[in-house]
Parts: sequence; structure tokens; C-alpha cells
Amino acid sequence: MKQYFAMLLLSLAATACTVSTKPINYGQEACHFCSMTIVDRQHAAEVVTNKGKVFKYDAIECMINDTRKWEKSDYENIALVVINDYSNPGKFTDAKTATYLISEQIKSPMGAFLSGFSSANEAQKVQHEKTGDLFTWDSLQEKIQ
Amino acid sequence: MLQPTNIMKNPFIALLAFTVSFWLSASYIKANVITVCGSCQPNTLKQAIQLAQPGDTLLVQQGLYQETSLEITKRLVLLGQNKPVLDFMNKEGLRITNADSVVISGFHIKNIGISYTKDFAAIHLFKTNYFRIENNVLTNVFFGILVEKSHYGLINNNRVSSHATEEFNSGNGIHIWHSDNMTVTNNHVSHLRDGIYFEFVNESIIANNVSTQNVRYGLHFMFSNHDTYHDNEFINNGAGVAVMFSKFINMRSNRFYKNWGTASFGLLLKEIYDAEIVANTFEENTIGINIENSTRINYTQNNLVRNGWAVKIAGGCYTNIFTKNNFISNSFDVSYNSKMNDNKFDQNYWSSYTGYDLDKDGIGDVPYRPVKLFSYIVNQTPETIVLLRSLFIDILNFSEKVSPVFTPDNLVDATPQMKTIP
Repeated sequence: MKQYFAMLLLSLAATACTVSTKPINYGQEACHFCSMTIVDRQHAAEVVTNKGKVFKYDAIECMINDTRKWEKSDYENIALVVINDYSNPGKFTDAKTATYLISEQIKSPMGAFLSGFSSANEAQKVQHEKTGDLFTWDSLQEKIQ
Repeated sequence: MLQPTNIMKNPFIALLAFTVSFWLSASYIKANVITVCGSCQPNTLKQAIQLAQPGDTLLVQQGLYQETSLEITKRLVLLGQNKPVLDFMNKEGLRITNADSVVISGFHIKNIGISYTKDFAAIHLFKTNYFRIENNVLTNVFFGILVEKSHYGLINNNRVSSHATEEFNSGNGIHIWHSDNMTVTNNHVSHLRDGIYFEFVNESIIANNVSTQNVRYGLHFMFSNHDTYHDNEFINNGAGVAVMFSKFINMRSNRFYKNWGTASFGLLLKEIYDAEIVANTFEENTIGINIENSTRINYTQNNLVRNGWAVKIAGGCYTNIFTKNNFISNSFDVSYNSKMNDNKFDQNYWSSYTGYDLDKDGIGDVPYRPVKLFSYIVNQTPETIVLLRSLFIDILNFSEKVSPVFTPDNLVDATPQMKTIP
């Protein structure tokens, strides 16, 4: 009996502190920054802190603009940053290794025309078709003001 | 000898002169009417559009027309007789590009394909000025009417619907982007993502529309200035109307009804400046008006009835002035998340006002405090909502009313009305 109880406690502790992304409930949840309901499966983004707290955004530009305003200590406590892969709607990919495209021909929810791709090849392919400029995570920070 | 002024004075001669000159000019323009029907030649719209000269009219008779990649690049009038059906067989719809003064009236357009990379619309207008889209029925669409980079358009009396429920593979009913001087009137929009979406649209009017059962918003403004919307109904959408990052928006006589859900609202104001909100009705919404970071807004003669929160104010909101509104039977009249107040409440009617009027001048003798202490607690810990209407909360609110500690002490209506404002 005692060991069951211990196991239960352990499993509770484990679930409480998991640092992982949570699926976005599209059409129900609102963006943490701009309050818009998240519906776009190609542009949503998510930030998870070291304590497992999840912040959801309807657009990559919202995520960048929000976290930029955070206190330094909070900002350093970010564990995961993910974005939707434009070419695989609803699938998250690591924001820091993704390739970004700003193209007037692809609208994003908050008007930055910004989309992210897990594969650089795919991003180039879409750039070829839709024109625009490619960015890395670091160069994007300077671009989005 | 007749002087020109005398000619104009005689109505008969003036009319004759006008008719003759009109007839003369008409014969120079030589606008033809091309009839399209199943047994005519041409029997498809594609042929007819190719055949037509700028200025011609295509008269499309009743029937089913299966069309693909239909594009208009010249000034044409398309009239449907007895609602001919244009079936785009789950591909891209009708495109109008770089053509002025196009009229599309009296069609039933259906079956538009879904794309993740392209905004397929039943009617897609690009760089088209002075257009008129009237009396059409659009069903099973991705986007309904999509307008880009155009000026002076009229979208009147159309019915747009799709079947978006929990799905997000839906576009918007009437989506206007980077345009100005648009008039959107008498349309019915349902089961889409956003009923009507204005993105970078200026100097435009939205009136007498009904937007209902849309997944996200009934009406959505982003980065749009100097627009007016009046006499519209927004019923049972994911949320009613979101007005965001816009200036000088005039909102009059609209009805916001039954927008229920955890984060739902009748009207969301986010980063709005210099707006007028007059004579609207907010009824049975989770939040009537949700205000974030908005400044210099006048709320006058609105009815806020049976909402969870009538007005919820968050973030830095300055110079929001509430005058002569009716707050009737709301769970919370006003909710605040800060102790600072730069907003004014004046001459409103509050159904939960318990004061008296001894001098019988119609104005309550003691001020009304619309913010309850409990609303602060609910803001901090949403789960406490289960305590609503308990004796404990009543005592808590009463003690705060007697000696305000947590709520901004200047947040009062000093002249609460004893009777509802007509």
C-alpha cells in the first residue's frame, strides 16, 4: 500500500513539472499577447518556461513581441520556444533552428507577413514561389521591431 | 431666341436634351448584351468573358455552370437571371483583376476549394475600383468575398456561408485588405472563421449586416482607421467583435448577443484610440465590453443587459468616459485589474444601485461604486467564481463599499440615475 502511495505521489510530481509543449486548442484559446483567438495552424507559437508554464500565441510576431517585454529573469527561464511549421500545419518545430520567411504574399495573423519552416530547403522553395526574404532566428530578432 | 437659362427652366426641353445627348453617347459606347444559357452560344461564362468587349453586359440565365479558372480583367457587368449556379468544383473561384466598375449580381456561387497556401475565394477582387457585388448567394466557400488593394466598392445584400464548426480550415466571409472607401451593407454571413474582416481598411462603412455562428469573430478590425459600423447584429459567434490596433472607429446601434465562452466577449477593444461607442446593445455575453490598452473612448447610451461582466477593463486605459448607459442585471458591472483610475462614469443607470433619491430629482443621492471587491478576487483566482452570490461574498462586497481599501476610491458614478435611460 505504502509503495503505491509513493508511486502515486511520484507520478503526480512528474506530471506537474514536465517541461513540454502542450497542443493548442485551436478556435478556443486566446493569444497571450494580443488576445485574439488562435485559429491559424500555420503561424501559431508557444513558449514553455523551466517550471512548465505554457504561453500560447497566434503568431510568431506576437511571441517575439511578448517575450521581449519580459523581465530578464523570466526571459532566461524560457525552456522551449516552438513555432508552427508553415508547410506542416499544426506541427511544432524548434523556433531557434527554424528558417523564417517574410513575404508580402503570405499573410500572418498580426500583419508581419512572417512564417516559419522546419526545413531550410522548404523555406527556399516557398520563397521562390512567393518572393520575400529569409531570416534565421537571430537575424529575425533585429527585423521584428 | 431662347437663352440657355430658359432651356433649363423648361423641364420638357431639358429632359428632351438630356435624352438625346444620352442616346447619342450611348450609341458611341456600343455596349452589347451577351446572353449566356445552356443552349445558347456561348454556353459557358469562360467563353462569354473571352468574347465580351469592355463595357458589355453578360446576361446569365438560370442553370448550372461548372467553371474553373475564371478571370475577369476588363470592365464587365455580370447579371444572373433567377440565380444561375456557378459551381467551381472545389477549386479557385471567380477572380477579378485590374478591372474597374465590375458588377456581379444575382448568382449562386458554390464549392470553393480549400488551400493552405492560397486564399481561394468565391469572388476575389484585386486592384479593382468602383465594383458592385450584390444579391449573390455564396455557399460552401473557403473565403467568401476577398477584396485586396481596391477602392470605392459596394458589397450589398449577399448571403455567405460555409460549414466551419470546430474546424479551422475555413476562411473569412467578407475579407477586405489594404483598401478604402468600402461599403458593406445588408449581408448575412455565417459558419466561417471571421464573418467580416477589415485589415488595413480606411474610410469605410459596415451597416445592417447579420454575422452569426462564426468560429472566431463576427467582425474583426485590424490596423484600420476612420471606419463606421452601425445597425449590425452579431449573434452567437466565437466572440462578437474584435476591434484592434485601430483609430477613430465609430460604433453605433449594433446588437451584440449571446457570445458565450471562457474567453468570449461581445466587443473587444485592444489598442484603440478615439472611438465613439453609442446606442449599442450588449446582451447575454460572457463579457460585454473587454477593454485593453484603449484611450479616449466615449461610451454613451448603450444597454448592457444580463452579461457576466458588463465592462472589463485591463491594462492602461485612459479617458474612457461612460455616460447615460444602462447597466441591467449583470453579474459584474465593471471589473478592474488595477488600483489606478483615469476613467469616468457619469449619469448611468445601475440596476444594482441600492441608494435613495430623497429630493426626487431622478438622481441617486449617494454615489454608486460599480467595482465590487469580489471582481478583483475573481481576476486573481478565476476559480473563486463558484462563491458568486454567496453570503460571504455579499459581506465582503458590503464592507468594501462602506470603506474602500482595494478598489480605486474615485471610481464612482456620482450621479446614478433612478430610472433607466430611454
